Amino acid sequence: MEAYIITLLTALIFLLLSALIANAIKFEGGSNPKDPQSRKTWFWILAILNPALAFLMGYFVFMPDANMMIVNNYVSALSMGTAIGFVLYILLGFILSKVFANGKIGHWF
Amino acid sequence: MDKLFVIAIGGTGMRCLESFTHLCGIGMFDNQEIEVLTLDTDQNNGNKGRVEELIGLYNRIKTSGTTLNGGTPNANTFFSAKLNLHRFWTNYAGAGRENYKNLSKISTGSPEQQKANKLISDLFLDTSSVQEFALDHGYRAQTHLGSMLMYHGIVEAARNLLKGSAVQSQERELDSFMGKLEKAGASARVFIFGSVFGGTGASAIPVIPKAMQDFVKIRSNGNASIDFSKAKFGSTLLTEYFTFNKPDAQQKSSKANSVIADSSFFPLNSQAALQFYQSDPTVQKCYKLLYHIGWPIESKKIDDNNTSNQTITGGSEQKNACHVTELLCACAAYDFFTRTNGFDGAKADYLYKAVEFKDNSFNFSFDDFIGKENKAGEIFVNKLGAFFSLAHISLTVNGAAFDDSGIKGFITRCEKQKLAQYSTITDAECKDINEYFKLFTYSFKDAKFVPGWLYQVRNSVAPGKFLFDSKAFPDNQAELRKLDVGTIFLDEKHHWSKGGIFGNRYDTFVEKLINTHPKEEQKVNTTKEKFLAHIFNALTISQNFDIN
Repeated sequence: MEAYIITLLTALIFLLLSALIANAIKFEGGSNPKDPQSRKTWFWILAILNPALAFLMGYFVFMPDANMMIVNNYVSALSMGTAIGFVLYILLGFILSKVFANGKIGHWF
Repeated sequence: MDKLFVIAIGGTGMRCLESFTHLCGIGMFDNQEIEVLTLDTDQNNGNKGRVEELIGLYNRIKTSGTTLNGGTPNANTFFSAKLNLHRFWTNYAGAGRENYKNLSKISTGSPEQQKANKLISDLFLDTSSVQEFALDHGYRAQTHLGSMLMYHGIVEAARNLLKGSAVQSQERELDSFMGKLEKAGASARVFIFGSVFGGTGASAIPVIPKAMQDFVKIRSNGNASIDFSKAKFGSTLLTEYFTFNKPDAQQKSSKANSVIADSSFFPLNSQAALQFYQSDPTVQKCYKLLYHIGWPIESKKIDDNNTSNQTITGGSEQKNACHVTELLCACAAYDFFTRTNGFDGAKADYLYKAVEFKDNSFNFSFDDFIGKENKAGEIFVNKLGAFFSLAHISLTVNGAAFDDSGIKGFITRCEKQKLAQYSTITDAECKDINEYFKLFTYSFKDAKFVPGWLYQVRNSVAPGKFLFDSKAFPDNQAELRKLDVGTIFLDEKHHWSKGGIFGNRYDTFVEKLINTHPKEEQKVNTTKEKFLAHIFNALTISQNFDIN
């Protein structure tokens, strides 16, 4: 359960971070503004960092000090949670991007 | 609602019209279709060409599609008035029309007629100079000759139109203008721009109403006229505000240039003209309101770049920088067109006001231009500020001044924000808007900074205060790129919001652009009109105005 909470929280924190970065990137003028691409790039960088960091934190920081069976179950849940966190990050990102299509986070998709 | 007519006469009149066109551009004449007549002796005059080009550009911006019809009137948006340009010039180009002596055919008729012609001409007009100088560069401060010839030019056009043979294009354009004036009848408001100290304007202002009345009479074979007790004529009495090089003896040695206006006589000319207007019954009867506008400190030199020791008498070279007095003339037209009283007097009424003068310079605030009544000053602040901001966004932020996309950048931005309703606006249409902003604000030519109208007007006031923060007028690329377009006002309450920790003023403006839209009461129909109204609304909200 703990593994799922860690990975889901990490996904939400990364999504929040991505939204903050998107808003921090200024609107540019001119014929070829680079800001939409910057927001998209940052979204996908964090999308990749999210499972990596969630798994590494879960493995090295929050690993339970228990017998092999509990550890195996934990690692298995952590792997599953990491995958779910990755999908959740992208899914929530997609939904938010469509809900706020005219805003800065609309550039994610 | 009265029908509005504007007549610009001579070089100074053209520059006043330039300011008036920019007032239309910022949106000061909502819901109006204005008939504009440019009237000059000098078909190729640079000031005339410049303002006609400006109005042409204005109309291209207003037009959608391929037919150049100048669009339709709108409200509370940029370019809200529809302008119909008519051009008339007295023809002094053909053989036998070069100067007074040839034009008046003194040497024709019987010997007795010739003698009488010569006697009467010599009585009023100096024989070897005034009767023989070339007329195609204007009346060169010879207003006694100019009034007669301007009247003659207009009446001659009416006669040619009545005859219907060899009618020239400028006569047809005058006919079109006069037809609309005649049709408007008592609901016509006619405002005339011109100086009283120079040649063409000073010559024409006293006789124009009478010449128009006679044009209508001749053209209609005596069946129609203009009733001066009902028609509303107004004009500027613009006294001297600039000087230029004195002509040298070499330049005056030819017959054609035997008379050249000398700016050292402009104050004297102004005094004489004002005395004349005050006592002339025709002027007093024809005009309802006369706006007395002047520059009571040292006049600025307009030809500092002219190192030839020759006076530029006219022609395409005569393109003078704009001055704040010309903007005040345009504001006088605004007052004349929007006021609801003051037209009942039997005699002309004189209007004037004063501006703060401190430390040897004038300090202009927004209320000095069009007053405070009915939030007029606030509307002026908002509209001029919005247009100036948009010009800076287009030229500076979106880089039109540096060969980038300019206003097209807004359409790109809208597309990036998934607002695709303006994507049909073409590159050529965007280019026209960019060009207008360049004429309004600034441009670069061969990497050299060229001030536009607003910069020129501001330069005429400097070092005094002029409406906006001095930081809003940078004149080099480095400072322009650093300009914060949300902080052009002197009053901080009109600065755009800074936004949150990560925000900046341009960001908050774009967010407002995303969240606003054109309104029904703005009467915008075409995509381009909607686009401009949309930007106008976003700027108005950003500047913390609520005038819609």
